[in-house]
Amino acid sequence: MSTEIPVHAKERLKGLRTAAHASGVFTSDFSVNEFLLVRKAGFEPIGLCVGSCVYHVGIQYGSWNRNQELDVLSKAMYHARELALTRMRAEATAMGADGIVGVKLTIKRLEWDEHLLEFIALGTGVVHGAGHKGFRAHDGGPFTSDLSGQDFWSLLHAGYRPVEMVMGSCVYHVAHRGVLAGLGTAGRNVELENFTSAMYEAREIAVERMQAEASAAKAEGVVGVDIHEGSHGWQTHVIEFFAIGTAVLPLEQEIAPEKIADPIMVLSVND
Amino acid sequence: VIVGIFDRFKGPDAETVAARERAEALHAEILASLQTGRVPGPMRARLEGARAGTLPWIATLTPSELLIVRSHGLRPVAAVSATCWLHYGFSWTEGHSQGWETALERLGQEAQAAGANAVLDVKMRTVPIHIANSMDFTLVGTAVHVDGLEPSPRPVIATVPALEFVQLLEADVVPTGIAVGAHFEWMSDWRGNASGAGWWNNEASQLSMLWEEVRQLAHEDLRRNAQARGNGVLAHVNFSQMFEREVEHQPKQYLARHIVVATTVDAVRGVPIPHEIKMVVDVHAGATPLTGTQPHHQAYATNESEGAI
Repeated sequence: MSTEIPVHAKERLKGLRTAAHASGVFTSDFSVNEFLLVRKAGFEPIGLCVGSCVYHVGIQYGSWNRNQELDVLSKAMYHARELALTRMRAEATAMGADGIVGVKLTIKRLEWDEHLLEFIALGTGVVHGAGHKGFRAHDGGPFTSDLSGQDFWSLLHAGYRPVEMVMGSCVYHVAHRGVLAGLGTAGRNVELENFTSAMYEAREIAVERMQAEASAAKAEGVVGVDIHEGSHGWQTHVIEFFAIGTAVLPLEQEIAPEKIADPIMVLSVND
Repeated sequence: VIVGIFDRFKGPDAETVAARERAEALHAEILASLQTGRVPGPMRARLEGARAGTLPWIATLTPSELLIVRSHGLRPVAAVSATCWLHYGFSWTEGHSQGWETALERLGQEAQAAGANAVLDVKMRTVPIHIANSMDFTLVGTAVHVDGLEPSPRPVIATVPALEFVQLLEADVVPTGIAVGAHFEWMSDWRGNASGAGWWNNEASQLSMLWEEVRQLAHEDLRRNAQARGNGVLAHVNFSQMFEREVEHQPKQYLARHIVVATTVDAVRGVPIPHEIKMVVDVHAGATPLTGTQPHHQAYATNESEGAI
């Protein structure tokens, strides 16, 4: 499947471009606070953008007693997410959006086949109210960001704009411990250095890949990074390390630094 | 098809061999670094790149946290992390103390390599892989540099989110790290009535006493460990378990263990807080970060399973 948009979808999208005007209808999954803050930031939502991908994840087994990256699985998890994101972005481009905020990336296992995973990317396409094109990504297309509308506003007021959602994945097989290995450590608390180093290696691969994507997007930094581990129905010793965040660039002319308000600190009296 | 079958006997291609060799080299480097107590080469290169600005900075902070740290003169440098996978052949309870201490030490080294003054938003984590009698103790956080300060030889490690870190700094309180208090005790039930007996209400006083003792000693341990880092602790995580064990031809045995993990702070006592009370409406969706009560640590959340998105 290509990233070409079906004809009826295009027709639907054409109508949405006018949604910034009083005559049109826009679709979004914004909450009220989100909607108000995105507009406060000078943007208008124009339509929900969706991209999905059903992916058959190949098979790869780790050697019983070896720490190793399962690159077939790493590539599958990355490629499928990327396809979903690219398709979502293509919808946004067709709408004429300057960016997509609040992107949610989810994975669902399809119950009839353990190798099938469904990846969905969903977010709200926005345009700058005054037609400013300076918010677009480095390639001239819409920016993508998993930040909520509130976070989007906060980011602009911290002096940054989102460029691209960046991610890195590493599916890793952690070695099993030999039966004999346990004998030497009976009665003592000792570090299992082999396992520790497996964690370091897998996490490093994921973070490095994410950082490389941020460099490629010519970003200054990555905000809202989440580094976590998950298993998607693989063997017990197989785990995915996944790093995801929004690559950002400093604002230049869009909001003058003197206009960036100092936040007010509050102490909350509720728990 | 036949060519395809013969291909199998040729062995892996050059690219696969090179990738395998790279992985082996990385593995050896990490292992050697752990054994000699230094930051592994590739991590050091990444942290120093972020420090010099040749690589993008990485922050686990949300944009509103970024806003607040920037307005207080802090700059994120890199995401830092540390792990210690420990086998508790001697004591599970004391292993937790040892595991977190080791991870803390390593996190400090990464922060130092990043030229940081502090690590914020440090989360205590453990991965869902179960290997008998062992567990990983993992810390993940964001190393930050304070404008106008030289990099610290021992960066401050704060287990609170960035907003709370800044709130504490404004009140002249410095969060300094984690302190762990842990204690366990075995008790043999010589008289055979530790769990109580009969049809009347009575306190199982031997078990009460066991709990009292274990908890008091765990808190004493916490106090002792906290002393090296500050003059107070906040935000306890309390974790305790008690087991009964039947042993043939011997009295029943009871194991009680208690672990307390807390954020240590260095606070100037008796100084008024500079904030006024003002009513505000919070526009944040869902649980507000103002209160800081969202789950921040996952290591002792027993029935919370998390998956990658």
